[in-house]
Amino acid sequence: MELRHDTDDAAFVVELERFHGPLHLLLHLIREQDIDIFDIPIAKITEQFLRAIAGVEALGLDRAGEFLEMAALLVRIKAQMLMPRRTEEGEELEDPRAELVRRLLEYEHFREAAQRLELAELERLRHYPRGYVPPRPEPKREVELELTWEELWAAALGIGERGGPPPEHRVTPRLVPIEEKIELIVNTLRRVARIEFRSLIAPFKDRMHGVVTFMASLELAKRRALAIRQSEPFAPIWLYRRNGNAVDATDADR
Amino acid sequence: MRPTQIVEALLFASDAPLTAADIAAADDSLDEAAVEAAIHELRQAYEAEGRAFQIYEMAGGFQILTRPEFAPYLERFDTVVHTARLSPAALEVLAIIAYRQPIGRAEIEEIRGVASSGVLRTLQERELITPVGRGEGLGRPVLYGTTTKFLEHFGFRSLEDLPRPEELPVILREPAPATRGGKAEPDGAGPA
Repeated sequence: MELRHDTDDAAFVVELERFHGPLHLLLHLIREQDIDIFDIPIAKITEQFLRAIAGVEALGLDRAGEFLEMAALLVRIKAQMLMPRRTEEGEELEDPRAELVRRLLEYEHFREAAQRLELAELERLRHYPRGYVPPRPEPKREVELELTWEELWAAALGIGERGGPPPEHRVTPRLVPIEEKIELIVNTLRRVARIEFRSLIAPFKDRMHGVVTFMASLELAKRRALAIRQSEPFAPIWLYRRNGNAVDATDADR
Repeated sequence: MRPTQIVEALLFASDAPLTAADIAAADDSLDEAAVEAAIHELRQAYEAEGRAFQIYEMAGGFQILTRPEFAPYLERFDTVVHTARLSPAALEVLAIIAYRQPIGRAEIEEIRGVASSGVLRTLQERELITPVGRGEGLGRPVLYGTTTKFLEHFGFRSLEDLPRPEELPVILREPAPATRGGKAEPDGAGPA
């Protein structure tokens, strides 16, 4: 691999995407440079690794953490290499790189195995089983939205919260948990067979309640716990209890 | 009705592998040996007649599939059943599970150095792996094994068809000791 010193971080992050994880990257550095895996020049590799993961934060917290953890391990091994390799009694200590080498070899072993599986998969997929997949239906013609500004305005107002200056955009933790709304809908539909969506959000001022209640409705509809009906665009939305299906909130958010 | 014809009818009507025992259950005139003899006969007949399909042995059973040389014609045909290929990450996790089963998530992540729960979920949804037991240690972690579907997906007759570990370019001196509470202790039904 060509290691560029003067490249901008963004380009490297794109590169980094190619690698499944820190072991993959490390293995790549070692194999590309024909380095003896049993005698890794740890200072050099550490430096290259650190350079390669500059800008790793852009990958997102989870993935970045995995690369950073490996960076920390490399730095630690580098430090241990400077320490005497024998105890005072002259007993030889294990090479600080040994565990890393074992992991690298193990990882490489399974990457090879994965490649063999891929070949088998490709070969297998050239054989077709019997079966029939219905062709995709023609997309339905788009329904023209016919409405007046007054209707649109009334619908927009109906969801709560009156005009005022646009609120500042600030990211805050979700104040209205979807679980709560799921429970509200489920409990309501235990009592009544159907409920108008608007009446579920009427008691709340904040528009977020409308949004989250709607998401909760969709989630429950997906789980076939209720049915949603609306006779025409912008008409009242009704939530119906589904017969036979005991609505259950216990296996809520997964 | 000749046994060969009965066997052929069953294989023709099936879109998944049937075991010799499955097929033998169809008629009193059949037993496993008769089924296998019939399959042998059919295979030779298809070969001699130059049919576009053949009977393949996989996942412990037999299935009629098209021959590979017809793939170019079927590939772009919409109504044909196309099986989605697995992602590189999914193949990596499957390889680890295939060779080390039963194995828990922590051990898989230890080997790969990356979080793998998403991949595990996908593989389970595609029924390529299944929980086969629980390990010892903290929280008794779920251990996974491969399924019959796994064998079907790769066209393996059994796990014996996996590339042998010593054939892989990187040979591990010894299987790494099972650490992190992942000691194998299967209790469910094993993989097929």
